Amino acid sequence: MNSVIQVRNLTKRYKDALALDGVSFDIEQDAIYGLLGRNGAGKTTAMSILTAQNLPTSGEVRVFGENPYENARVLSRMCFVRESQKYPDDATPRHAFAAARLFFPRWDQGLADELIDDFQLPLKRTIKKLSRGQLSAVGVIIGLASRAEVTFFDEPYLGLDAVARQIFYDRLLADYAEVPRTILLSSHLIDEVSNLIERVLLIDAGRIIMDESAEDARALATNVVGDAAAVERAVNGREVIHREGLGRVASVTFLGRLDGAERAAVVADGLELAPVSLQQLIVRLTQQRSGRDRSTGDAFASTGSDADTQEGSLR
Amino acid sequence: MTTLDSGAALQHQVPRNRMLNVVRLQFVNTQTFIWVPALVLAGSWVLSIMIFWIIGGAGVTEVKAGGGSQAPLWYFLAIGIQAMTMTFPFSQAMSLTRREFFLGSLAAAAVSGVGMSLVFVLLGLFEQATGGYGINGYFAYLDWVWAAGPFAAALAYFTATMFFFTIGFWFATIFKRFGALGLTIVLLALGLALVGFIALVTFQQAWPAVGQWFMATGALGLTLWAIPVTGLLAVGSYLTLRRMPA
Repeated sequence: MNSVIQVRNLTKRYKDALALDGVSFDIEQDAIYGLLGRNGAGKTTAMSILTAQNLPTSGEVRVFGENPYENARVLSRMCFVRESQKYPDDATPRHAFAAARLFFPRWDQGLADELIDDFQLPLKRTIKKLSRGQLSAVGVIIGLASRAEVTFFDEPYLGLDAVARQIFYDRLLADYAEVPRTILLSSHLIDEVSNLIERVLLIDAGRIIMDESAEDARALATNVVGDAAAVERAVNGREVIHREGLGRVASVTFLGRLDGAERAAVVADGLELAPVSLQQLIVRLTQQRSGRDRSTGDAFASTGSDADTQEGSLR
Repeated sequence: MTTLDSGAALQHQVPRNRMLNVVRLQFVNTQTFIWVPALVLAGSWVLSIMIFWIIGGAGVTEVKAGGGSQAPLWYFLAIGIQAMTMTFPFSQAMSLTRREFFLGSLAAAAVSGVGMSLVFVLLGLFEQATGGYGINGYFAYLDWVWAAGPFAAALAYFTATMFFFTIGFWFATIFKRFGALGLTIVLLALGLALVGFIALVTFQQAWPAVGQWFMATGALGLTLWAIPVTGLLAVGSYLTLRRMPA
C-alpha cells in the first residue's frame, strides 16, 4: 500500500484544551476514509493541520512525502473546504467556482456544471444570502469538481435535505470510480456514510481509537439477544460494551466474534445473533470510553468540547 | 516508526501563476477594490470643487486646495483590512500558501494603487493646464507634492496607497490572529511611542528642526522614506500572517 499522508505523534494544544493528543496514523492512496467521532473530538483540527490551514503544537505531518506547510507543490494537490467556510463578501457561487478553476489543476468544469444542476444552486446570488444547504452545496461542488488527489469533506451535508445528501453520496461514489483518489469524509451520520467508506478512523477526545477497514470494524463486535442467563454464558467473559435488559431478556453487545462451535451453542440456547451496525459500534465504543473517563476523573471528555469551540472560533 | 523522512515522493510541479491568480481572486470583490474607491474619489472631488466654487463666489481669488483629495488615499486602509479579512479564509480553501496569498494581495493593491495615482496625475495635469478649473481650485495638483514633477507626484500618490494598504492589512491580521485585545495593545504601544517622540522633541525644543527637516526633505524625499517604511510594514504583516490559522 502506498500512503499519501503520514502523521506521527501529532499534538495540537489550544490555550486551555488539548485537541489532538499524540495522534499517529497513515492514509493510503485511493481510498475513502471515514473520519468519525463526536463533536469536538478533533476531526476538524486534524484536517486543518493536514492541509496546513492550521499548525500543530508538536508532531509531524507528511503529505506526498513532504511537510504541507507553506508548500504549494503539496497544497495544490489537496482540497479542503471547511464546514463553516467563509467566502469573500461580494462572491457568488459563480465567483467561487471560477476561483476554484484557477487553483485546482484537475478541476472538471463539466462535473461542476452537472452538480450545480443537481443541487439547483443559484449561481448569481451572493454566497452570504444562500441558505445553509446551498452554502454546503457550494463546498461539496468545489470538493468534488476539484478532483484533488486528496480531498477532505468536513461534515459536508449540513443543511442538505435527504435527497441532496443522497445526490452527494451517489456523485461521490460515481466520480471516485471514474477518477480514483483519496477522500477523507468526516461525518456524524455514520449509518448514512457507512456504505461509502472503506476505512474507519475513529477519533475520540483527541486520540485515534480505531483505525480499521470498515469490514473489520463491523466484525469487531457481536450482539446477542435472549434469555439473560444464556446471554451471559455466550458472552463468556468477553468485554461488554453495551447491555440492555427487560425482565429476563437481555441484549448484550460485546467485543469479538463467536467461532463456529460457540455460534452453534448460542443458537441451541435459543439466542438471537444480530449484526452490529457501524454506528452502534462507534456510539457504544465512544460512550464506554467517556464513561470510563468520567469515573477515573480523566479530563479528556470535557476538553474535547473546548477544543471544538477553539477551532470554531478560529475559522 | 516515530519520525518521517521525506524525499521519496514524486516531485510534482508547482502550478504556475498562482500568485497572479490571487489578484483575480481579490478583484472578485469589485466593490472593495473598484467601486467604493471610485465613489470615494468622485465624491471627494465633487465636494472639493463645490467648496472651491463657494469660496470663489465669496470673492476669494487666491489658490484654493483642500484636504479632500486625501480621502481616497486613506480608503486604502479599508481595502487592506478587507483584502485580509474577506479573502484570507477562502484563499485557504483554494489551497494557497500564505505567502502566495500575501504577495498576490499586495499585487492586487498595487493594481488599484496604480489606477488611483494615474487618475490623480491626470487630474493634476488638467488642473495645471486650466488654472484649477478656471477658479484656482486644486484637488490633485498640490504644489508641494508636485514640486519634483508629475512622475514624483505619481510615485508619492502610489506610495501613499501602498502605505495605507499595508497598515490596514497588518492591523487586520493582528486583529484576526490576536483578537481585539491584541490589536488594542499594539495600538496603545504605537500611541505610547508617538507620545514619547513628541515628548523628546518638545523637551529638546527641536520642533523647528523637525519642521525644517520636513520642508527640506520635500514630498519626493518623504516618498523615498516612505518606501522602505512600507516595505518594513509588509514584512511585519507577512510574519504575522505566516503562522496564522485559517
